[in-house]
Amino acid sequence: MSKSAILSGEELSKKYGSLEVVKGVSIRVDAGEFVSLVGKSGCGKTTLLSLLSGLERPTRGDVVLNGKKINGQSEDELALFRRENVGFIFQSFNLIPTLSAWENVALPLFPLKMPAAEKRQRATELLNQMEMGHRMDHLPSALSGGEKQRVAIARALVNHPKVIFADEPTGNLDSATGDAIMDILNRLNKKEGVAILMVTHEVELAKKAERLVRMHDGEVIS
Amino acid sequence: MNLHYLGKELYYQKRRTMTAILGLSIGIALLIILNALSMAYRQAAHAPLQAIGADISVQRSGDVPKDLAGAVFPCSAVTIRQAEVEKIQGLPGIRGVGKGILLWVFDPNRAWIVLGIEQNNSVGPAILRSAVTEGKFLQEGSSEALVEVAYARQFGIKVGDMISVAEKKYPVVGLVDASQAAKIAVANVYLPLAGAQDLAVSSKQLQSVSPYNSGDVNLLFIKADQEKIRDMAASLKNILGKNATVATPDSFLKLLGSLFALSDKFTLAASLIAILVAILIAFKTMAGNIAERAREIGVLKAVGWTNRNVVTQLLMESVVQCFLAGILGLLIAQAVTFGLSFMKVNIPIPWDMAPTPHFLPGGGDQIFKTLRLPIHVPWALASFAFVLSIVIGGMTGALLGRQIGKIKPSEVLRHE
Repeated sequence: MSKSAILSGEELSKKYGSLEVVKGVSIRVDAGEFVSLVGKSGCGKTTLLSLLSGLERPTRGDVVLNGKKINGQSEDELALFRRENVGFIFQSFNLIPTLSAWENVALPLFPLKMPAAEKRQRATELLNQMEMGHRMDHLPSALSGGEKQRVAIARALVNHPKVIFADEPTGNLDSATGDAIMDILNRLNKKEGVAILMVTHEVELAKKAERLVRMHDGEVIS
Repeated sequence: MNLHYLGKELYYQKRRTMTAILGLSIGIALLIILNALSMAYRQAAHAPLQAIGADISVQRSGDVPKDLAGAVFPCSAVTIRQAEVEKIQGLPGIRGVGKGILLWVFDPNRAWIVLGIEQNNSVGPAILRSAVTEGKFLQEGSSEALVEVAYARQFGIKVGDMISVAEKKYPVVGLVDASQAAKIAVANVYLPLAGAQDLAVSSKQLQSVSPYNSGDVNLLFIKADQEKIRDMAASLKNILGKNATVATPDSFLKLLGSLFALSDKFTLAASLIAILVAILIAFKTMAGNIAERAREIGVLKAVGWTNRNVVTQLLMESVVQCFLAGILGLLIAQAVTFGLSFMKVNIPIPWDMAPTPHFLPGGGDQIFKTLRLPIHVPWALASFAFVLSIVIGGMTGALLGRQIGKIKPSEVLRHE
């Protein structure tokens, strides 16, 4: 792995029973790079994302994230590692319905021994950055799809991650809102220097990333 | 654990929270009420004897008097020998013995129920000292009489009058209201024990049916260590023989016939069922909560919460719910027991303990000691139930910790 690589997967395989969903995939993402992983539904791209982010363990192969091999770690070690290095953006936002926008943003910080005011301050800054300052105390049920995704992006940034994993981040949004979210991701990538690995099945959207990786039937084809 | 998150989860998931709290609180309330009822009936069963300062009363049944003339013993209370009394006084666990003599005196123009009492013994009918409505209580060593106030009113007897009982004259020094007393050991006339013993010794009728020596009695009232009452009842029957009538709180409890009064086992079983129901409700709610929130738990783990962070958060939700359920359960139990405290309990007094001859008007009627159900929630029971509710919360949360541990962070992507 070169010095600039922030994330790499070597010969990654994932089997569920006899079904091999990811077949010996090797992939790398450099620091500050925006990579999109594109392929049809069911080709294994979301499984690959979960292997690279430490949400799932590979059946075979290694994952190195921020210089650390993560596939031998316990669940709790992985959780702590994700807390310090990784941010997630999901297709269906995955906000906690009972928490307000700022509380959802601060969610990864809740277990930390850190003054509550500081957590709120950090969440407020990020929501302002997402132009969501006026919706801070609203519950997710009171937000539009685009607003929810902005809150989710703010949450992904709250722990100053090295890599953001985005799984179909515009999948539940109309095209205009989707474009706006892509602009935000591009801006973050360029201004903050955070690496992004985005999974999508839309080739046009994937082309907005710096580099495009195609998957088919569990394998990387280009 | 994040209190903010905890509070909001309980507040916004009202239906789930209320179901858990209500279900568990009913279980806790049932546990408290059942035990409070059982304790109340037990306490009520003490009332007939407590009213005369005793825990046990003892008498012995014998033959029916041949002629109803002069002083006789009721057939339900014949001679208890002085030697037998001394044996009884030596039994382990005895804290005090009060002696009495109950006589029926059939004078030519009047029938009296006469009770000879030890004036200065707090165990036994001398407890009526506080029920004197006019005049004074009996003095030690004097030959005088107290008359029951209703009886005195009926026959126009006043303090200062002389009454003649079995041809012996006694000045009336006071009137006593025995209506609130135990219904046992009540009489029309109260004499010092020695005076009543003299009447018994000199009565040929009485001697012919139940030989009697000076110093003997026919009623005993015993104050005893509570935990020894059951054993003592058996010892008393051994000393006095098969004709002994030994009344204890247990014997009154059996007469009450209530399900709660009858069986400790019933209360225990019902309490266990209430606890089990409470545990099941807490467990089911919590298990449902975890299943319903699998995705949320996945999100928490994905964004960096450790398994311990998640378990602690949900455990505290469970503990807080159970804490609130404990408080609500206590309030429900307090309200129900307050309502039940207006209930009257009628404790039947066995015929052989009733002082009135059954052949006189009203003598054959069943008499009762009536009192309000002495129900309340003792601190110990309330604390136990409250602590139990929190333990149930903790236990349930801890048991489900494994289930939480099985939820993988990738759960969050499975729903995408």
